Amino acid sequence: MLYRRLYQFFIIYLLGLAILFTIKYTLRLSEYVIPAPATVLLTVAEVYARYSKDVFDTFSVAIIGQLISIGLAIFISIFGRHASWVGSFVKVAAYNVQAYPIVALAPIIFILLGDGFLSRLLIAAMICYFPLLLSMLGIMSEPITEVEHFYAATGRLRWQLEVKIRAFENLHKLATVIAGSATLAMAGTIVAEFIAANAGIGYSIRIALYQSDLSKILIALFFIGITLSCYQGFLEWLGQQAGKLWAGNA
Amino acid sequence: MLLDCQDITYQYPNTELPLFKHLSFGIDMPGFHAIFGPSGVGKTSLARILTGQINDFTGTVTTKKDNSKILYTYNLERLPDWSSVENHLAKVTPSGKEDLKEVFIDFFGVRKIAHYRFSKLSLGQKNRVNLIRYLVQAFDVLIMDECLANVDERRREAIILKIKEHFPDRCFLYISHNVSEVARFCRQITILRSVHKSPQAIAISGLNQTKEKPFEKETLEKTMLEVMNAV
Repeated sequence: MLYRRLYQFFIIYLLGLAILFTIKYTLRLSEYVIPAPATVLLTVAEVYARYSKDVFDTFSVAIIGQLISIGLAIFISIFGRHASWVGSFVKVAAYNVQAYPIVALAPIIFILLGDGFLSRLLIAAMICYFPLLLSMLGIMSEPITEVEHFYAATGRLRWQLEVKIRAFENLHKLATVIAGSATLAMAGTIVAEFIAANAGIGYSIRIALYQSDLSKILIALFFIGITLSCYQGFLEWLGQQAGKLWAGNA
Repeated sequence: MLLDCQDITYQYPNTELPLFKHLSFGIDMPGFHAIFGPSGVGKTSLARILTGQINDFTGTVTTKKDNSKILYTYNLERLPDWSSVENHLAKVTPSGKEDLKEVFIDFFGVRKIAHYRFSKLSLGQKNRVNLIRYLVQAFDVLIMDECLANVDERRREAIILKIKEHFPDRCFLYISHNVSEVARFCRQITILRSVHKSPQAIAISGLNQTKEKPFEKETLEKTMLEVMNAV
């Protein structure tokens, strides 16, 4: 699973580079617009240590943001899973709030909280949270009648058991949703850093943009992609192992 | 009357015809009874009315005791797969019923497969495991909707006779499409008919076979014919 993620990333990244260099040499674009492969390699040697550190910084914030989102989404989806007034309110609120672009709120967050760790974390968590919540609400509000019937009929279906049954039956979906949300968390953190923060790979991309240095941006994209591919591969593997362990197939 | 349904009328939302129109029937004594009828006539819906899962019908359902416990089981039910069958059965068996559970585990042929997860069992084994967990519960009426559908005929017969032997004071409503089985084992066969027919439910006496009381082939054929004609 991890290997598949990695080679898929390499194929896409190298394909992107190939297209870029084809455009450069076909249209005879200057070094300033698209740098030559040799220039990109020289830049790698120059920035790889700093960019690795920056990506790790961004990645740490994204992971914390994702964990917060997962916890919050589980909590809210448990409350919102029934067709009661509270449940309907939670669902409607979630649908409406997620329709508002979080990036548009980012300036307010930066004004109120400054350009440090908290702002990046909050934006990462918010961007990751709503799609997660909608998926989890969908999973948690769908009864597994053929399993739940006995427990409901004999008065044993407490909310903990109901949640356990629905989570177990949808474990594969949950793992996919959580692995997918990693991209959102990373994107959220990078966007936050790009807008106003003072650290992370998004901040480095902003500086590279001011310098019109496409080599640095390409290298930053490589580091982001490889980190995200490894993390998503790891999450998928983790989901698979959890499923096997829980269902007794290990 | 142990179970009395009077003048039940029910129509599913967004359908053109009612499913039941002034349906009345009753069960006056414990034992193994049947609800029989063609597919789509409303057997499962009637079970859901009896168990209170459908409430927006007109008419009355009364039981002998005010707080009679009516359970409903069907053949597609599953046990969660996070634990073995024996763990699940142990967990849902009320205290004091452990011995009964062990009797059924042996008699239903579940002992050898009890350490498996539910998903690893065959359909017939799943049916038997599911039925055991219902039989050890406290109930006055148990509605068994095709819940032995995947069990082979010989074992099904043995299971039905065992249930009759163990629970002479309880009421079972057996929903099945097997006319010979229904005619042989059931005391009262309530035949549900299409909404266009009146009355919509007809009661016929079955042979009520037990271990001590075998049946005669001729009587069985006569009862089966009676059932088929009533449908």
